[in-house]
Amino acid sequence: MKELRQAVEAQWPNLEVMIGWGWGFDLLHGRPLFVRKIEEVAGLVWNPFCVQNLTGYLAKIPAVQAEDKAKKIGVCVRGCDSRSLVALIQEKLVSREQLMVFGLPCQGTVDWRRLAAHSPLVGVKSARIEGERLLVEDSRTIREFTLDQVLARRCLRCTHPNPVVYDVLIGEQVAPRATSLDRYRDVERVEALDVGGRLAFWREALDRCIRCYACRNACPLCICQDRCIAETRDPKWLSQYMGLPEKFLFHFIHALHLAGRCTECGECERVCPMEIPVTLMKEKLGRIVGDLMGYEAGLDPEATPPLLTFNPAETGV
Amino acid sequence: MSKMIFIGSDQLTAALDHLSERVELWVPAGASGGPGVIRFQRYRPGVEVVLDRLTNLSPKEAVQPQVETLLRFRTVKSADDPAAEQLLLDDGIEARRVLVFGARPCDARAFLLSDEVFLKGPYEDVYYRARRESTLLAALVCREGDDACFCSAVGGGPADTAGSDLRIVPVEGGVVVEALGEEAESLLEGLGEVVSDAGREEALRVVDEISALCMGEIDTSASVQAFKSRFEDRDYWREVAERCLSCGVCTFVCPTCYCFTITDEKRGLEGERLRSWDSCMFYQYTLEASGHNPRPTKLERYRNRVGHKFSYFPEKYDGRFSCTGCGRCVRFCPVSIDIRRAVSGLKENICECP
Repeated sequence: MKELRQAVEAQWPNLEVMIGWGWGFDLLHGRPLFVRKIEEVAGLVWNPFCVQNLTGYLAKIPAVQAEDKAKKIGVCVRGCDSRSLVALIQEKLVSREQLMVFGLPCQGTVDWRRLAAHSPLVGVKSARIEGERLLVEDSRTIREFTLDQVLARRCLRCTHPNPVVYDVLIGEQVAPRATSLDRYRDVERVEALDVGGRLAFWREALDRCIRCYACRNACPLCICQDRCIAETRDPKWLSQYMGLPEKFLFHFIHALHLAGRCTECGECERVCPMEIPVTLMKEKLGRIVGDLMGYEAGLDPEATPPLLTFNPAETGV
Repeated sequence: MSKMIFIGSDQLTAALDHLSERVELWVPAGASGGPGVIRFQRYRPGVEVVLDRLTNLSPKEAVQPQVETLLRFRTVKSADDPAAEQLLLDDGIEARRVLVFGARPCDARAFLLSDEVFLKGPYEDVYYRARRESTLLAALVCREGDDACFCSAVGGGPADTAGSDLRIVPVEGGVVVEALGEEAESLLEGLGEVVSDAGREEALRVVDEISALCMGEIDTSASVQAFKSRFEDRDYWREVAERCLSCGVCTFVCPTCYCFTITDEKRGLEGERLRSWDSCMFYQYTLEASGHNPRPTKLERYRNRVGHKFSYFPEKYDGRFSCTGCGRCVRFCPVSIDIRRAVSGLKENICECP
């Protein structure tokens, strides 16, 4: 945390605004923090509760801008976020030259809902990871959790904890929690069900959807934003009914628009107030893209994502 | 003395089975598949009630469903006169007798606030009235408040009975249910067992203990005026809401947000007019037909949320806030926007000069 603040302070003359994390309403919640004055750098934090992918703020309207073009926009990225950033750079939605990227190797982030499901925590005084355990002290007692119990699903299947693009690296590189062999085990679990079982799984999951569109709005690559097919009136694709067809259509289009682009950062699932495993759909697509096209999204800023190419000579399409 | 009964933990299922034969019963229960999601749903034998966790969604759905049909329409053409069309409308209102069992005091209080808007004029909402008048609320004295809760700061409290028809008090080995009105009293007939003196005393003690809890403190004094002074202060709203994602989480989980949109969903010659939840966080909410949008960015939209709840509403309805401090918007905001902070901050460092 100290190292991050020092690094940002050292770079401050080149920066107009810095997007990082600060404390949310308690010690179990981080929040995006926009730093515009050097004295606000002290508000920056870096811990397992810094859960938001901040790269969306660079691309989605109204995107964070540097008024003075000679200066840069600073942004904190974990491994997963850095891949979103690569995808945004590939699609020319952000300009790499305008950024000062602070890379943060990440041990995984805590899903507060998994914590709360174990026991309600009131008056949290401290929360820290020691080794493979999370210690939380609240007004009543100190509780200990294994990381397997409290890390977000996306973190348990993380293959890229270290940023793939950065200008300044804060801290030591860390070992991934998953390998390319086991990162799709959740997808495999659903695939192992028969057709009826899969249908029941998605029916139950999507039935919970309240169409708040948090999944879409939190996605750094869902850049249609206010022009999304979910809400257009003319043409009108989706009715206001709350039935499964509407919910399925929205989530499926959301996923398909991300095929070959989605880096599986898991923001869509993190923000869902109804805990629908929406990233699973994108994981399945990511796997298909990998198998068919040998491509993994968000690793090489120079690469062109397979579904963004058009080759008239292509056969068999 | 009001009617009180005791329902032992092992008798709760039988009591709910019994109740569900008489009314449409809504209870907090786990959503299938989602381990942590608790929401109000129709009780059917077999549904496991969860009374020791806060719910993700409020029970406002019971009276303001996320989508409801206002009317059905059908166009009939005549073979004799092809130019003539007859439009047939059916605007019948369906409302069943509903009991929401296991709401929290913050949720019950929210119904009173929506009543102001929908029932007390100048326009009366007949759809709302039909549902509301056939709905009873049994609110649970709340011991599960967390760091996002602030009911005490906005006029409520964890044992508040405003808006409740029945009060559920958790006691050793079960719950004591107290009827707070005549209609509720009749609902308790044949349920549970007579409360022992000791049980009654324990229930009173629990209510006293919980009533004494102060859940959350925010400075709401003068928020009506302070909000107006801050209205044009873009730096303030940028600090509060720059991180907003413009999603609908806060409004959809909110027990007092009641805004809706109306759409005609037509298929062929027939269709329905629907009313469904809308969110002032959405760009489309204020988008005008001309293409102009008076609230084009998240800053104006989030400002409206604060203003509606802590300035416009109290100004119109005797100083009451359109917020019951349930904490859901704080708890579920993906970027941890805290409305308590947004309201408290209204008064800070305001330039006093004219």
